[in-house]
Parts: sequence; C-alpha cells; structure tokens
Amino acid sequence: MDIYTINAKDLVINEYEALRYLGYVRSSITDEDIEIVKAAIEEVRVLAAPKACFERYPVTISEDFDITMPYGIIHSKDLATNLNGCSEIYIFAATIGPRFDMALTRQRQISIAKAAVYQSVGAATVEALCDTLNEDLRRKVVEEGGTLHPRFSPGFGDMSLDNQKGIFSVLRPEKSIGLTLKDNLIMAPEKSVTAIIGIEK
Amino acid sequence: MNILEKINSGFTYFDGGCGTILQEQGLKPGELPETWNIIHPEIIQKMHYDYLCSGVNILKTNTFGANSLKFGDEGELSLENIISAAINNARTAISQAPADTERYVALDVGPLGKLLKPLGDMEFEHAVTIFKKTIELGAKYGADLVLVETMNDIYEAKAALLAAGEVTDLPVFLTCAYDESGKLLTGADPKSVVAVAEGLGVSAVGINCSLGPKQMAPLVEELSAYASVPVICNPNAGLPRTENGKTVFDVGPEDFAKAMKLIIEAGAQILGGCCGTTPAHIKATVLESANHTAKPVTEKNITMVTSYTHSVIFDRKPILIGERINPTGKSKFKQALRDHNIDYILQEGLTQQEKKADILDVNVGLPEIDEVAMMIEVVCELQAVTDLPLQIDTTNVEAMEKALRVYNGKAMINSVNGKEEVMNAIFPLVKKYGGLCVALTIDEDGIPTTAEGRLAIAKKIYEKAAEYGIKPKDIIVDPLCMSISAEPESANVTLEALRLIRDKLNGKTSLGVSNISFGLPSRDLVNGTFFTMAMQNGLSAAIMNPNSAEMMKAYYTFCALNAIDANCGDYIDYASNLPSMVAAAPTVKPGEAPVANDNSNLDALTVAITKGLKDRAAALTSEYLGRGDQAIDIIDGYLIPALDIVGKGFEKKTVFLPQLLMSAEAASGAFDVIKSYFEKNGAKQEKKGKIIMATVKGDIHDIGKNIVKVLLDNYGYDVVDLGKDVDPEIIVSTAKEQNIRLVGLSALMTTTVPAMEETIKQLRAAGLDVKVVVGGAVLTQEYADMIGADKYAKDAMETVRYAEEFFA
Repeated sequence: MDIYTINAKDLVINEYEALRYLGYVRSSITDEDIEIVKAAIEEVRVLAAPKACFERYPVTISEDFDITMPYGIIHSKDLATNLNGCSEIYIFAATIGPRFDMALTRQRQISIAKAAVYQSVGAATVEALCDTLNEDLRRKVVEEGGTLHPRFSPGFGDMSLDNQKGIFSVLRPEKSIGLTLKDNLIMAPEKSVTAIIGIEK
Repeated sequence: MNILEKINSGFTYFDGGCGTILQEQGLKPGELPETWNIIHPEIIQKMHYDYLCSGVNILKTNTFGANSLKFGDEGELSLENIISAAINNARTAISQAPADTERYVALDVGPLGKLLKPLGDMEFEHAVTIFKKTIELGAKYGADLVLVETMNDIYEAKAALLAAGEVTDLPVFLTCAYDESGKLLTGADPKSVVAVAEGLGVSAVGINCSLGPKQMAPLVEELSAYASVPVICNPNAGLPRTENGKTVFDVGPEDFAKAMKLIIEAGAQILGGCCGTTPAHIKATVLESANHTAKPVTEKNITMVTSYTHSVIFDRKPILIGERINPTGKSKFKQALRDHNIDYILQEGLTQQEKKADILDVNVGLPEIDEVAMMIEVVCELQAVTDLPLQIDTTNVEAMEKALRVYNGKAMINSVNGKEEVMNAIFPLVKKYGGLCVALTIDEDGIPTTAEGRLAIAKKIYEKAAEYGIKPKDIIVDPLCMSISAEPESANVTLEALRLIRDKLNGKTSLGVSNISFGLPSRDLVNGTFFTMAMQNGLSAAIMNPNSAEMMKAYYTFCALNAIDANCGDYIDYASNLPSMVAAAPTVKPGEAPVANDNSNLDALTVAITKGLKDRAAALTSEYLGRGDQAIDIIDGYLIPALDIVGKGFEKKTVFLPQLLMSAEAASGAFDVIKSYFEKNGAKQEKKGKIIMATVKGDIHDIGKNIVKVLLDNYGYDVVDLGKDVDPEIIVSTAKEQNIRLVGLSALMTTTVPAMEETIKQLRAAGLDVKVVVGGAVLTQEYADMIGADKYAKDAMETVRYAEEFFA
C-alpha cells in the first residue's frame, strides 16, 4: 500500500468550488465574497493535514454487474458501468485530518456564518486533495499506456455505503492516515473521501 | 534485572516491524495478523527469534489489533487465545535464543481504529473498557510490561493508560505516532504528551511509526527535554510504497543505524523500529549504539498543565486563569445552569479565550442542580470548542474525579488544602489521573494570620503530597487573600507569603486576586494594583477576570517591564486595541450617514443588519433605546424589515448563505441588547410561538439545523433546540410536555432518513397534533412525502415562512 502526503500549502483549493457549495450563482459572486472565502481557505490550510493511502487491485465485472472487489464480490450497476472496460482499479482513502473538525465545532459556537464558509472550504480542500492524487495516478497509468476512469465513491448511485467496511478492511487507513469509520458508516474525520478509480488498458 | 532497572541503565532495544514481515510470509490484505499467533505460531516464533539474535531486549507481542472490537470471547480465535498464544510465542522464542542479554515481553497494545467522541463515535469509557480487557489478559498470561503504541490521539492514549493503571501494576510504556508537523493527528505536541503520560504514571514515553528516524530527531529532543522517564524511539524504515505489488520501505539497515545516531544524541535511551524495519535494522542500530553512551534520565522540574493540543508552562510569565465560568455572584450564570443553557457557558469560555486567558477555571456548583453530571457535560462541551487547558473547580469529590477522568489532557485541580480529610480525598485523584493541584493555605485551624503560618501549611501539604508520590512541581500554592476592607494587613501578609513560598520552598503560587477588594467601591482599581504587586512578589498565576481592563493593563505592562514580552509585542497589540476595551460599547451618533449609498432611504440599523455588521447593529440598538425608542418598534421597524430584505434576496438568489447568516448574527447582536434591556426593566419579550428543532437520531451534522434555529430566533420564535443525534422518544416527550405543535427535523445523511421517518411515526402514534417540517442535504420533496412529513423546506428561509404561516 502507498501513503500519499502533500503539504496543505501546495493544494490548489478553488474558491469558486467553495462558493458553489454555499449555493452561490457564478454571475452574482462579488469580490467581497471571494475575499471571504480566500481568507477562510488560508485558515483551513493551516488546519489541514492532507493524507491519503491507496492500493491497486485486479477487477472483473460480470454481465449482471457483479464486481470482484479485493474484499469480496459486490453488486452495483452504476459502478459496473463506470468500470466498463477496466481490468484493474485503484482504491483510495483521503482525509484532511481531525484538526479541521475541531476548528469547525468551535466556529459553530463563534459564528454560524463563518462555520458555513468553513464547511464548504473543507469540502473543497478534500476535493483538491483527491484531484491531486487522482492526477498523480493518472500520469502513472498513462505512462503504462492506460487511462483512468472518473472516481466513484460508496454512496454514489446504487453502490451502497456498506462498501466502506470492505474498503476499510483492505486499506486499513486507521493506522496509516488516521481515518476511521463510524458505526453508521460515516467517516471521521468529517472531510474525508474513499473512492474507486478504474484503470483501462 | 527488572525492566525498570534495565531501561534506566544504558540502552535498551525494542524489536522492529512485524506487519511487513508477515506480508512477506503471505499475510493477505484484510487478514488479521493477530490470528497468525494461532494459525502460524512457527512463523511468529521465528520472527521473534531473529529479532532476539540481533540483540533485542524487548519483544513486542503480535497483538497490535488484539481487542474486543475485532475478536470475540468464543472459539479458537478468541481474544484470550490470541493473547495467550502471542505471549507464549514470544516466551518460546526467548527460551530458544542465546541468553546473552536481558529479555522481556511487552504486551503490544495498538489503537482501536476508532476516533473518540466528539470527533468520532466512541465513548471514552467504552475505549477504557476495551483496553482493560486486552491488558488484563496480557497481565494474566505473563507479559513483563505493557506497550501502548502508535497512538495518534492523546485522548485514546489516556484511555489506554488509565485502563492499564486500573487492571495491572506492570510497567507501562507509551509511544505515539507524530506527523510531519511534529504533532499527533489530533494536535498534541510532544511536551503535552509527556505531561499527560507522566501524570498517568508511564515508565517510559516516546515515538513510533509514521516517520523515518531522521524526521524523528527533533521530536525526540523535545520529548527528552521534558520527560523525567526514559525516552523510546521506534521509527519506520522511511515511507512505504508499492513496487510490483509489494510494499517496500526506502531506508536500509545501514542508513537506519546512521540516523539512529542522531536519535541517540537527541536523548533516546530505548531504541527499536516500526513498520519496514527488520532484524538487520535493529542489529545495525545495536552495533552503532555501542559507540555511544546513553544520556542519563533526569528529573525535569517543570510545572505544566495541558489541553489536548498544547501545554501551559508555569515559569516567569504569570499565567492568567479565567474565572468567569462560575455562578458565584452571577445571577445570569446561575440561570444558565438551571436552564441547562450550555451555550451560555461555552460563550463565557470563548470570550475569555479571546481576551487572552491561558486557562479556564470551571465551577458549575449550584445546590439545585446535579453538579456531577453538569461538570462532566461542561468539561466535554468546553473541550469541543476551546483548546485552552481547564482548571476543575469543585469541592464535590465525585465531580472532581469524574471530570478528571473525561478531561482530555493534564488538568489543573482546584483545590486541596491543609486539612487531612481533604488531602486524603484529593491526593489519590491527583496521583491516579495526573494534574497540577492548587493548594490553599488553610487547615483545621483556619487561615493563619501570618505569612509564616501559611508557609507552614504549604510545607505540610508538600510533605503529604510526597507520601502519595506527587511531586512538588505538581503542587501550586494559593496563600489566599482576604479583603483589605476587613483585614487592613491582608495584602501585606499575602505578598510576604508569596515571597516565602517562592524563596523557601521553591514553590509556584496562584491567587484569586479580586478577593482583595471585597466590599470596596471601584474594585477593579484595587485589583489591578494588587495584581501588579503580587506579580512583583513572585505570583505564578492569577485566577482573574480577563474582561477587566485594569487587570489586563497590569498584566501587559508588568510583562513588558519585566522583559517577558518579546519586543513588547503583546503589550503593543493590547495597547493599540485599548479604546474599544475601555468603552463599554462603541457608540454611534444619531442620524449618522448609513453605511451604503444604495440603501440611502433605509434606516442605519436596517442597513447595519443587511450588511451583517454585528457590533454596529448592537451599538445602534443601544443608541435607539437610549433616545427613547420602544423595543417593539425597533424590532418591527428595523430588525424584521432588515431580515426580510436579506431573506427575500436569499430566495431570489441575489444574497447567499454566508450573507444571510451574517445578517442573522447582526440581528442577534441587536436582539441581545434588547433582551438585556428587557431584563433590566423587568419586561418580557413576546414570543410568537414555540418550535422544536432537532437533528435526528444517528446524525451528528447540526450546522443546517443551527442555521434554521438562528433565523427562527431572529424572527421572534421560541426555539427549543434539542441538539443533534436526538432519540425520537425525547422529541415526542418534549412536544407533549411543553405542548409544542411545530417540530423541525434535520437529517444530512441518507442513512439517517429512516430515523427521521421513525420520529414522525412516533409523533403521530402519540396522537399529538403536530406539524413536522423537514430539511437537510439529502432530503427532497419526494422523500419528505414518503416519510409522512407535513412540509419539506429546501432552505432556512422556507422554514421561517412556514412558521409564519403556521402561527399566523
């Protein structure tokens, strides 16, 4: 298994992405809005400890959408469609760490407006981490003459959240990156992503 | 030689990695390595044997994940069988290895793979119970010591250390996993870990995993500077990566040993390895260390307390302990305790932090409430929003113990005194949980009138503490001050006592400074000057009000004058913001031009709220009330119209969520002014109707619910906020008891929509005449219809509109 770390300073966090999560319409965004989000992005960078771990596995997909995952056979039409033509997959888990969660709890008490901005910036930050990791993996696979499919997470479409258990059993992100799974299948720290990326050759 | 003698006499060697070796032997992804103690004992024994042959003293059993979350009580692979086999494998290897050095078996205890509350979903006490079970079995089957390792959260480490202390007398070692920033994942720095771990009685403390040896050197240096016990360093062989389907590490034995030389120089006495290290790495380290001598372990006379992130050290700079979380003489605070208004208490904490308190005193004692339950709740809730260390202030021994137990860090304990009975009740808690204990110089005969008398009590307390094994550095003496209006010599006696305790006992001191002025007018003036005098006489810490301008002036000028404020930086910061602290609230001249031109036909207060200017809105509201405006006219004439402007903008998508919320906060600022005006004048603000708000069972996302609550508050509704993760039964009983007919439910996750449905079902089954409005990220009109809600609100404003319709 590989561990991927990147300094939060080097993440490209998109302020428009954060504004979009807040419900902004692009055409009505003012300079002031951008300043508020930019300032929050810098604060979140200090709190974030972006880390990911990933592993590559073979995969087969049957005609009736059964997929052989490293933790067992699962059934998902949407994931099977996404993985159409793939012989391998990456599975990754990524998180920006618990210090963000602590700061968010505190902001909720201080200013609910700022907490809302933090919330969306946190989401944009973990997306930025996934994008960077995704791009690294893409380059590697392109070198081998392959292509990557768009990443797909448990909970998307008909891929059940139950898959989190399987993903956690093979990646063991608790030890390597401090990412845990709660009994309700939600991850802690909050701003975290697990996903599957198809490799087609 | 027993293990404690061994680690205090030169180098001691741990073994290295286990997981990577087992993977090479065919351990599959997802397979639990601990099962191999029983399935493949020969492989485990061989691994141990190889380590022993490279000079290892302490074998870690193959039990990293051996806990009751993963293994049951029954069958061949039960927790008990795994642990007994693991220890047996280590013993067997030792019996076969050359007897050329001392050998010990450490029960290896890894993290549970769960984050504790409030970050995750595991209760602290649940974690303690799980660790106890593992450690009890380890002791039963003959481990020589317990190694709690790879902890990346100080709270979980505390749970494990506490568990160990409650089930065994075996020595306990702790190693934590720090990241590149030199902190644990949840934020603790090395010296805070040392303070917490030593408080809980560890025999050695250190670092393992996650980093290579080179990156660990500065962390080992910090551990060594603060630890009074030997320091352990078990690094990875660099970082892992996959090559041709195999996990490899980039630091070989030679380079590893070279880097371990740095670790030795940084002060570690116990050396070994973690992921990716092999017998060859350890052998090279043993050889390298032969050229060095281990640094002697010395007692560090450092007085400190910690939160879960950082420590506060009592040294030359006086420490400010905020006193505001205390009901004494505060009717609002008392009411907040009676009403179970935790938000009010949290706000007191955050305000003091903003005003630069270093530590927060927490006293929630009130005869008519359950102090034990309240203390636990307030400590946990405060720690969720502030990273300041806390001082647990109670005379209720049960509340003290429960609070020290759940406290995340090394707390300050307020207090013990010279009475035998009190010392016998409090010192065992200090010994068990760790902490810095405030010692009042009062005993069975009362408070001595002389400084010498108080010194004598202090001495007695130090001696009694020593009998319990509590070090002098963990005692801070409060020589007490009485009002000079009753005792003219009081200040002089207290100041002399401060000097004596510092000079004769080398002790630290603390004072509740403001007692000095009791009964006098303008008490702050006296307090400020007395504070300066006390600091000049060696006071280490003051329990004080950080909102007091006189106290803060005394503090900042004292620090600047005594060269304990680098470049007078803090003083300059403070002084440049001074005017706003002196004035009670910023004032605005009536008729002043509105802030924005495009709103020129609007009132200044309306504009301030639409622009989200909280301070200005509050100042204008005071101004309007001052000039004789009726509160109701201000609300209906300015506040509600302002909220409507913003609310309509939000609906039309010209105003967005942060602006909506900033306006809501500005309106709250204005409402607070009106509320305190009402209180002063004994009037009551009319509420438009009562609404329950709750995030449903299983869901801990409350931001959406809180947004709706803030808006409803502003629109004059009485919101009964039941919080997050709320049982359906509580919602039903609240609606019933308080006769509430509108219920707002929030859910963020698809997995908790069923809980929402269940809540609605129970409300209907109870035959209550209620309407239910639902919202949250995953909800849609379809979902809302499916689960039988009366209304789906797509955002906060829609809930407000629905409430307006409902109560119209």
